Amino acid sequence: MLNVIYAELLKLRHSKIRWLVLLGALPANLVTLGAFLPRVTPDGTSAAIDIQDMFYRQGMFLIMMGPAIFALITAYIFAREYQERTINQLFSYPVSRVNILMAKLAVVFLQIVMTTVLSCASVFIVVFLMLLNNKVDVHMIWTGLKTNALICILSFGTIPVAAAVSMVGKNVIPTAVLGVFTTIVTVIGEIGHGRQNIMFPWLTPFWPVRDLAQGIADNDGPNPFAVPALSILSITFLAGLLYSIVYYSKHDVHSGS
Amino acid sequence: MGYVLRTNNLSKRYGNQAVVNDLNMNIRSGDIYGFLGQNGAGKTTTLRMILGLIKPTAGEIELFGESLSGGRARAMERIGAIIEYPGFYLNLSAVENLEVHRRLMGMGNKEIMEEVLAMVGLLDARNQKVKNYSLGMKQRLGIARALLHHPELLVLDEPTNGLDPSGIKEIRQLFRDLARQRGITFIISSHLLSEVEQLATRVGIIHRGWLLEEIDYDTLQRKTRNYLEVMVDDDKKAAYVLEQKLGVSDYRIAGPGIVHLYDYLEQSDKVNLTLISHGVGVKQILLSGDSLEDYFLRLTGGESHA
Repeated sequence: MLNVIYAELLKLRHSKIRWLVLLGALPANLVTLGAFLPRVTPDGTSAAIDIQDMFYRQGMFLIMMGPAIFALITAYIFAREYQERTINQLFSYPVSRVNILMAKLAVVFLQIVMTTVLSCASVFIVVFLMLLNNKVDVHMIWTGLKTNALICILSFGTIPVAAAVSMVGKNVIPTAVLGVFTTIVTVIGEIGHGRQNIMFPWLTPFWPVRDLAQGIADNDGPNPFAVPALSILSITFLAGLLYSIVYYSKHDVHSGS
Repeated sequence: MGYVLRTNNLSKRYGNQAVVNDLNMNIRSGDIYGFLGQNGAGKTTTLRMILGLIKPTAGEIELFGESLSGGRARAMERIGAIIEYPGFYLNLSAVENLEVHRRLMGMGNKEIMEEVLAMVGLLDARNQKVKNYSLGMKQRLGIARALLHHPELLVLDEPTNGLDPSGIKEIRQLFRDLARQRGITFIISSHLLSEVEQLATRVGIIHRGWLLEEIDYDTLQRKTRNYLEVMVDDDKKAAYVLEQKLGVSDYRIAGPGIVHLYDYLEQSDKVNLTLISHGVGVKQILLSGDSLEDYFLRLTGGESHA
């Protein structure tokens, strides 16, 4: 299995994936730097740099960009095999189609992790500078890291749907359309800031980010929609995965497909 | 000699349309099997079923003595293939593409990559991205990839597509050498008679999904060679004269008063004179025979793009 994952990673060498990852990470970094803008507290003194605020902004923008960027990454990894007509060769290896699917999903997850880590770059730099001055709130850093770990896991929940669309469409376009559509819904949902919005599977990663805003915004305790949202996301994940497994392992590979 | 591949009533249907019908293919170890048929005859569908890319509607495939449904992974380790078009990851170089293949085949030896690239004449272009390759170079790289893991069976669908005449000649020679030196069995599909004629030791002719004939190339050659059709009044006496006076042994009585003579093709006058001078009445002498193309046409009922 490691060989299959390594081969999948090798396929991405010199590809456009790195630009997609950067595109996903860059806006979060730029917005995070907004925390450096001069601010004053209600008593008129200058406010210090707020790590919590930085993680919140980073998370918000990562979740806005995520559906489109992660869908495109998934589409590239799956649909290129059909578009570049490498699928004939890929399915002729002594490796089961399910293993190939799992390796591809693992590589998508790695790209999500990489995008998330890169989107935290400016927060990490600030944290490092604060560490030098012994002014770090370790609890807040831990909370920020946990939030990002959750973003990775929850964002991965909708990936099997994007994978299924890519393999059925055999083209990047249908998945790109899905990505753009879900991004629009996500942006509208985030602007609304409603607690129930996280029940839209592509917005579930907003749950830990919104919780991070406790103390910044006027939030009122844990989100009561977390459990139904996680249930919907789990069903989305399992249904997408199951469909992908059945389709990938059963479908005939024809000329030009 | 053992069979590398056998199919038993292999069939593929799409709705009401039958693409491959009850195909019984028998390929022995060491064969260069020319799989001949027009475009759309069912060649590629058959090859795809052999490689597990398409699931048969009915029938069985046996590879290396084992059913494909039970031992696909084991069989695929022993097969190299190019189906229709050699697809590659265009962002990668030739060596990187072979590295992907090496990993997926679970092979340890890295040095073999340069060896196969040299074999197909791509060693100097090994670090060039495949997106800059010509179709001919991709075809060569496809052959290199198919050879990388030392397969016992090579399944090649129209392998000379895109190659220039000198490239075709080189690749043809490479296939012959591989068959001779390494004992690799080949299935080479083609719609070109000339292609099959120059390579195959055994030929399967498929038409509209039916395998019309499976025949050794030597037998096929015998069936398709030219002869003098001599129409005489007494075929037995004619046979005696041909044997005794002209020393001919390569002939056959094709019917009452009809002798097919496979020698003296350029000397029909001498045959005529000899027969007449020994009291055999000669009614007609014709140079006749089937070319492979005629034979193919006759089998397929007159339709040919091959």
